[in-house]
Amino acid sequence: MAETTHLELVTPADIMVQKAANMVVAPGAEGFFGAMPRHAPLLSDLVRGVVEVHEGGKVVNRYMIDGGLADVSGESVTILTERAEDLDAVKREDIKSRAEAATGAEADFLNAVLEAL
Amino acid sequence: MPSLKDLKTRINSVKSTQKITSAMKMVAAAKLRRAQEAAEKGRPYADRMQQIVNSLAAKAEPSSAPQLLVGNGKDETHLLIIVSADRGLCGGFNGAITRQTRNEVARLRSKGKTVKLLMVGRKSADALRRELGDSYLESLEGIQGTSVSFADAASIGDTVRNGFEAGEFDVCTVIFNKFKSAISQEVTLKKLIPAEVGEAEEAPADEVSVSYEYEPEEEALLAAVLPRNISTQIYSALLESSASELAARMTAMDNATRNAGDLIERLTLVYNRTRQATITKELIEIISGAEAV
Repeated sequence: MAETTHLELVTPADIMVQKAANMVVAPGAEGFFGAMPRHAPLLSDLVRGVVEVHEGGKVVNRYMIDGGLADVSGESVTILTERAEDLDAVKREDIKSRAEAATGAEADFLNAVLEAL
Repeated sequence: MPSLKDLKTRINSVKSTQKITSAMKMVAAAKLRRAQEAAEKGRPYADRMQQIVNSLAAKAEPSSAPQLLVGNGKDETHLLIIVSADRGLCGGFNGAITRQTRNEVARLRSKGKTVKLLMVGRKSADALRRELGDSYLESLEGIQGTSVSFADAASIGDTVRNGFEAGEFDVCTVIFNKFKSAISQEVTLKKLIPAEVGEAEEAPADEVSVSYEYEPEEEALLAAVLPRNISTQIYSALLESSASELAARMTAMDNATRNAGDLIERLTLVYNRTRQATITKELIEIISGAEAV
């Protein structure tokens, strides 16, 4: 098993994800970037997009985030975001009904999640 | 001397009040656990956000830093965000907030500042409407029921930010009850604009932050982070306040239940004494009647 970095995906409501990963790819404001172990410290603005968790050369988890911040250090990647959805765990119908019920930014985001599914 | 029937009615009415207060206490206790959990779960986000703001702010040039961080150089109009509860029966919770607000407004006005108020929660808004109603910018209700949603905090954050950019006020402070423990809450004032920046933890953090890379540039990043920080601060104030409200209600209702118990005891004593007195009186009447025959 190769070296890992510790990913934390934090939303205002709770810490959504806490896990080890070989590489985390995040949608930075100036383009996607991959954060691997021993990455130089980086603080980046994030845009709406998909965070990919790579392990053993494969994508194991995908999370849709609604912009935010990434704090990358040698051992960890902390992503702060207002809204996030686990693309592998959610059901299309659930998102659809929530998108219809939601308004404003929330609805926008859920529609984007639908497209990414 | 109240009659037996009056006493009985009184005892029954206190008993039913006691049932209500003890039910409210139990409900508040159950909700408090959830609110406390929510407040604790919300902390990592707020803490990390604060760390990031601190480390960015430490590097920002005061002259070119965003106004949200350093203020717009004026100190004329103050916006106070008051977080109280929508419902009463929670002891001194709303009273404390209302009193603090009144003092703060008086203090600012005595210095010749203009004060605007953004009221969250019905109770303080109602209490202050008569004296300060004309300075209300907005009065919001119903956003802090069982669960506080970040979307609500974000929309208040937007209001604040837009108002600041439109030059409606220069300084923004939020006043709320901070949750200390189930039996104590503390009225807290927190400055949102200009942002309250703690000292970035120097020694260990410094070495790391020296070599930080920023994407985009520090200033642009700071400009992106600060608005979010405002919403986050408001969100954590709402969470703290809703946990405090439930804690205050729990304590108040616990006391009320206990007092009702004492009252029932005392009334029952009077009731029994009166009953015995009546019996004795009747006996005397019968005996003296029999003797007379």
